[in-house]
Amino acid sequence: MTIYLFKRFGLAAVVVMAVLLLLFSMLHMIPGNPAILALGTRATPEAIAEYSARMHLDEPVLKQFVYFLGSAVQGDLGEDVFSNRPVTAIIAERMGFSLALICTGMGWAVLLGVPLGCLAAVRPGSWLDRVTGIFSVGTIAVPSFLVSIWALLLFSIQLRWLPAIGAGEPGNFADQLSHLVLPAFAIGLGWVGYLARMVRASMLEVMGEPYIRSASAFGLKPRRIVLGYALRVAILPTITLIGMGFGGLISSAVFAEIIFARPGVGKMIFDAVSDRNFPIVQGGVLVATGFYILVVLLSDLLIAWLDPRVRSSL
Amino acid sequence: MRDLATDTMLEIDGLTLSFRTNRGRVKALREITFPVRKGRILGIVGESGSGKSTVLWSVLGLLAGNAEVTAGRVEYGGKNLLTLNAEGLRALRGEEISVVFQDPMTSQIPVLPYAQQMSDILYRRSMSEADKRKAAIDMLRRVGIPDPESRVDAYPHQFSGGMRQRAGIAMSMLTGPNLLLADEPTTALDVTMEAQMIDLMRGLRDDFDTTIVVVSHNLGLIAEMCDDVVVMYAGEVVETGEVHDIFHNARHPYTRALLECDPARIADVSRRLPVIPGDIPDLTASLSGCIFASRCQKALPACSTTAPPLVERGTGVAKCHLLEGPFADPSWPPPADVTTVMRDTGKNLDASVTEAKPLLEVRDLNVQFRTMGAMKTRLRGVGRPFVDAVLDVSLDIRPGETLALVGESGSGKTTLGRTILNLQDAAGGSVRFEGNEIRNMSERRFKPLRRDMAMMFQDPVGSLSPRKSVRALITEPLLIHGAEGRNLDSEAERLADMVRLPRGFLSRYPHELSGGQARRVGVARALALNPKLIIADEPTAGLDVSVQGEILNLMADLQAEHGLSYLIITHNLPVVRHIADRIAIMYLGRIVEEGPAAEVFARPAHPYTRALVEGVPQPDPDRRRQKTDAIKGEVPSLLRRPKGCDFATRCPLAHDTCRESKPQHRQIAPDHRHACLFPLR
Repeated sequence: MTIYLFKRFGLAAVVVMAVLLLLFSMLHMIPGNPAILALGTRATPEAIAEYSARMHLDEPVLKQFVYFLGSAVQGDLGEDVFSNRPVTAIIAERMGFSLALICTGMGWAVLLGVPLGCLAAVRPGSWLDRVTGIFSVGTIAVPSFLVSIWALLLFSIQLRWLPAIGAGEPGNFADQLSHLVLPAFAIGLGWVGYLARMVRASMLEVMGEPYIRSASAFGLKPRRIVLGYALRVAILPTITLIGMGFGGLISSAVFAEIIFARPGVGKMIFDAVSDRNFPIVQGGVLVATGFYILVVLLSDLLIAWLDPRVRSSL
Repeated sequence: MRDLATDTMLEIDGLTLSFRTNRGRVKALREITFPVRKGRILGIVGESGSGKSTVLWSVLGLLAGNAEVTAGRVEYGGKNLLTLNAEGLRALRGEEISVVFQDPMTSQIPVLPYAQQMSDILYRRSMSEADKRKAAIDMLRRVGIPDPESRVDAYPHQFSGGMRQRAGIAMSMLTGPNLLLADEPTTALDVTMEAQMIDLMRGLRDDFDTTIVVVSHNLGLIAEMCDDVVVMYAGEVVETGEVHDIFHNARHPYTRALLECDPARIADVSRRLPVIPGDIPDLTASLSGCIFASRCQKALPACSTTAPPLVERGTGVAKCHLLEGPFADPSWPPPADVTTVMRDTGKNLDASVTEAKPLLEVRDLNVQFRTMGAMKTRLRGVGRPFVDAVLDVSLDIRPGETLALVGESGSGKTTLGRTILNLQDAAGGSVRFEGNEIRNMSERRFKPLRRDMAMMFQDPVGSLSPRKSVRALITEPLLIHGAEGRNLDSEAERLADMVRLPRGFLSRYPHELSGGQARRVGVARALALNPKLIIADEPTAGLDVSVQGEILNLMADLQAEHGLSYLIITHNLPVVRHIADRIAIMYLGRIVEEGPAAEVFARPAHPYTRALVEGVPQPDPDRRRQKTDAIKGEVPSLLRRPKGCDFATRCPLAHDTCRESKPQHRQIAPDHRHACLFPLR
């Protein structure tokens, strides 16, 4: 187990490095000198040279990368080009909004999608199964940014039930919650359908397994068989899927944060890219990658906890 | 007549059932009628497609969704189980009627420990969780699970095959049911395990006064275990009776034929095994007359038009025209020594083993499997991070010879076969084919040799790509090895003729083939390139006795015609006795005895060989073993290879020396050797 965790963290470090290296080379291929962007077009050549030297912009890309890694390990992700505030501080104040959005989005998708898939599998061919099937395909097919815009138009502008923009007043929980509803709805909707489909397929497969017939042959109650036996096994592949789904949700969250003007990490990265505010982009991507790797690791550990066969092979 | 009310536990009366499929209605069961007497063990015997398991599942109301019962009653405790509602059935299941399943690997949920699975079964009892746990532990102890107090918390994958089935039996007996249904309870187990299970179930019947219905295709199991027998064929009961009457006084031609086909009942060694020609009739068609008429050697014209009479006898019934009515034949059934089934003598069959140089020579071959990664090995300081799957194996196969490699699961026999075919790397030793070293050859250099060595795979259907037609499948080897200038269509027909597969089958797909036909395709694929050596992995596994003879006869004919050599990997000893020239017995990756087949069977030198030979359940109730004390326990894990003789942990004759020192191979005759410190001869 310790060796397993050790390996996983080693692998995570390699993935983070690879992502950052890709990002680094990409950022440096984008036209535009960050020093000019930071100092303005009327900056003197001396000032630009001085700034470039301070930010290591005059050195080879690989070297810049090493500098960045070196300070990142010490918890220093650099400074905002414009405000000179530490990147870590900026990310820290925005991360909460993104985490709340992503977790709420996936949360309601799981709470609705898993039972729907389960019910559909227990009675295949019933009206519930058919409705779920149509609903699944429909919601998977519509991109989340379209859902965001429609939800915004319908619930905020037409019906005026929910606020359109921002993340709510700091400290006012109810207000923040009401600002969370629409974006979370928008990014989670596709996942409700997706999870329902996956759980249904997985449940149907498991319900055909001999051990389910054994449980029936021992006279166990149908509810116990479905929840305690079949779902217990069928949920395992779904957990992997949910873990990986967080990756997709991170990008959905970028759109949702832009459309709803939520001050999250996604919107921060988007703004920073347009401003060539490289330290912010790097810091934001690092955090997003780290978050994703952590979630996948947690989902794998959860499976190991639920499945003794996996547990004993670790 | 017997008093049904007090004497009968379960009465099946006129049960008729069909399955709706897209090919039409399959009339799977037709007027199944038989009683199950209290306190007895009833065996339902039949081949695949006979509907024997369907009878079992209809008792529990656990039929597939497309099943439709059209007539009949299943009477238990004054209730008709076929019309009982879901609540009523559930109250009986697990409490009064319980089941032992065929494959304990797939029939036990992998993610729950036994303690949980067993306390779930007791959910109707008002017992505390601690009492349920205690009941589970007690039952596990009763079925012979060592150290049940801690094992009760184990998960199924942590048990070996035999222990898993013991636990399965413990689960079914937990509530002390009146009626226990067992569906092929030993089919997934090795011979030595099978004998132990039969013993265990008979013991439980005596202790708990449980009535048992066991379904099996295995005549040995039926003869050893049962008191009463029901013989089924293609969805009908053709004969019932007490076990002695069925095995010694069979009256239905099918029962008779089935018994005569069992290699274990054929006393003299014979290269050609009897068969029941033909296939089970199509049950979607309209059926008339006797269901067995199309394959019966004694069939009369009336048999295919007029339904046969049901003829009573002391302990059962038989359904045949020969026994009663206008077509009665007083000379039927003939005495036991008369053969009634087809036994074609085939070609002149002296497959002569030339005293030429061996075709294949294996010397001191070793195969190892890694058990842990490099990092773990270093961290834990393990010296040998691998197990010996094959250990110092030496073998010769001469041209035209059949060598059988026999062993239980985990003995390394399949690994050895794969290594010879260069599908698995060896750690040491040598494999010579026609004098040339081929071990660990690169695939590029080995490829031309693959023409000379072919493999017949264990799972005939699983080893055929479902998307390819039979024609494409049997010509595939030709394409891989360059078929320039060959007409593939005529090649396909030639090969189909060789394995006696009707040419019409060439355009079929694997799922449209029966087990025997799929085997034939496997044989044709192996033959496509005119090999010199065929390695056949369990060539008859999963085949019915009436069909396995056809495949073995075919293999024997091909050997005589083409001078083929066979390496047959199997655990089926009764078959081996008839087809092999020499036998090598493997245990934990080592060959413990090797010699001429007749010698090894008649006078085994190694106690393990004797245990295997005697371990086969005898298809004759008169030769039933009272107590199986010959061999205990299970094959140890390769991870825990015993220090001395590998077999010492299970050997009934083991001395202290056996537990200390490894026996070396000893020659007792020019071609007979063994590895035992205290041989039996």
